[in-house]
Amino acid sequence: MSSQKTERLINLTLALLATKRYLTKSEIFKSVTGYNGSPETMERMFERDKDELRNMGVDIEVKGIDPLFEDDQGYLIRAETFQLSGNEFAADELLYLTMAANLWHDSALSNDSKAALLKIQSLSGPIGFNTFNSPIIRDSENSQMLAIAFEAIEKLKKLSFKYNGSLRLVEPLGMFMSSGFWYLVAQDDKIIKSFKMIRLESEISMDAGSFKKPENFSLSRYLKRYSEEEVIEAEILVRKEQAYSLRSKYPVQEYDSEWDLMQIPYSYEPEIIEILLWHGQNIIVKKPEKLRNSIISRLQEFVDG
Amino acid sequence: MVDNAAVRALRTMDLIPYILENPGVSISSLSTKFSVTEKQIESDLQLIFMCGLPGYTPYELIDIVFEGGIVSVIDPQVLDKPRRFNKSELIVIALGLQILLEINKSNPVALSKLQSLSNKISKLGGSNSIAFNSLETKSEYFDTITKAISERKHLNIAYSSLIKDTKTNRVVDPQRIYFLNGNLYLSAFDLEAKSDRVFKVDLIEECNTIDPKDHVSITEPPKLFDITLNVRKSHRSFIERNSSVISASKDSGESFEVHIQISNLEWLRRSILSNAPGIAISSPSSLTDEVLESANSVLALYQA
Repeated sequence: MSSQKTERLINLTLALLATKRYLTKSEIFKSVTGYNGSPETMERMFERDKDELRNMGVDIEVKGIDPLFEDDQGYLIRAETFQLSGNEFAADELLYLTMAANLWHDSALSNDSKAALLKIQSLSGPIGFNTFNSPIIRDSENSQMLAIAFEAIEKLKKLSFKYNGSLRLVEPLGMFMSSGFWYLVAQDDKIIKSFKMIRLESEISMDAGSFKKPENFSLSRYLKRYSEEEVIEAEILVRKEQAYSLRSKYPVQEYDSEWDLMQIPYSYEPEIIEILLWHGQNIIVKKPEKLRNSIISRLQEFVDG
Repeated sequence: MVDNAAVRALRTMDLIPYILENPGVSISSLSTKFSVTEKQIESDLQLIFMCGLPGYTPYELIDIVFEGGIVSVIDPQVLDKPRRFNKSELIVIALGLQILLEINKSNPVALSKLQSLSNKISKLGGSNSIAFNSLETKSEYFDTITKAISERKHLNIAYSSLIKDTKTNRVVDPQRIYFLNGNLYLSAFDLEAKSDRVFKVDLIEECNTIDPKDHVSITEPPKLFDITLNVRKSHRSFIERNSSVISASKDSGESFEVHIQISNLEWLRRSILSNAPGIAISSPSSLTDEVLESANSVLALYQA
């Protein structure tokens, strides 16, 4: 790796950032240190430098300076597209930004978290932030797979991976995190489905083929449908002086000397069964009949082995 | 990462506003922050020392001093502010803010500040294709807990234990607060039990800060049991949620054979019953009998 090239890239960026007017190539070659050799060599150097910086997200603007001469183009980098401004965030906002980015510090998104924190600290300096009292997210996701999925969604590229034993080629539409796990929302064979990322059975790869996002798709609407399931009320008996975690959330009425009566709302049967069976002999489901029967048949199957 | 010239150029430029805001920062701390070796940081700094604006007189060069492993910036030229957040950084920040909004639900002052910040961030870009599905964590004591951690105070809490099914008062030395599987947990040293414990924040019913008394923070390592489970594929979320206690897992077609190491057998008994019939204990058989017995006694309640 040549330090010379790095140095030239820095000097070019600084010059384009400092200038108030568009700089022509010949001005750049004359004033920016590092450009030398024949005109063709310098031309090639500049084109490559410009592309590399753009690939890294640096927005180099170009504009024809003289309408009569198409070759005579000028270049500059606007400070507002390159840098944050000093007064964009108030002091307490910088603290919240730090906490927000720090949440992901130990998760699969740790690289992005670290990069964001660096920028925030380059605005705020050392602020009264204690990494120990700020919450963090722990997960067991694969950072690389998440990064590929994010990129594919952004670039509208198809993804292929193995899931539930079969190979899929899907059109990724979005990602969401729920109960600590990441899900990919994608169109698989004309149907929009969610895939739990840690269940992917192979490497995920981005396909060359791109696709068009369905116009009527919105992730927030998709997720809303998720949470708008019908709510059912279960009536259960809770043994006295037991099941404290449920008692802290739902009120009870006296039933008899041994039991209290409690109503619990639920929308997903497997989930409520898990909560109720956790309490073993301290809970009996009275209603609805369907829930009661499911519990009995699950336990029966369990003891029958 | 492949450190090509453009990557190195941008990192080197990123160093300047960071050092400017954190004058006197050490090379070793920069190396941690920027995830490169100390040698690399030094060579980056030597490089940018020679860069500047056209003209390249001493007045136009970036000026830094570094001595004895400590760096400060005298003249940053145009590099006085960090680069803008890129798309993935904005996503991480926006999702983080959504979680903070959720945690601070019962704190109207924080809530309005977070909301306006969140709006600001979404104007900077980001993505509406990446979302956080809301969590239902009750966290009225979030502030009390985080404050106690930073001020090194102890907490007196009333806690409904999910595993022991008891409601107890405890004095704890709070250490960290974290999310796992969508729930907020507090890890703390229990002064009475003299060992580290984990508390689910939404099961803390009262919480007061108290001044610390001395305590011996020696923790006896808990006794671990080796257990083999057979987990049906339909119940694999049990494996996913408890990955930290799983030492090995083998796919055997219909189900997984899972080895776990745990100290808390009561937790396991309850988990197995609540997942019935999805998880079976392969060994030890004594534990199998215990869980079957409790399943039978629940069934008896329904048949009564």
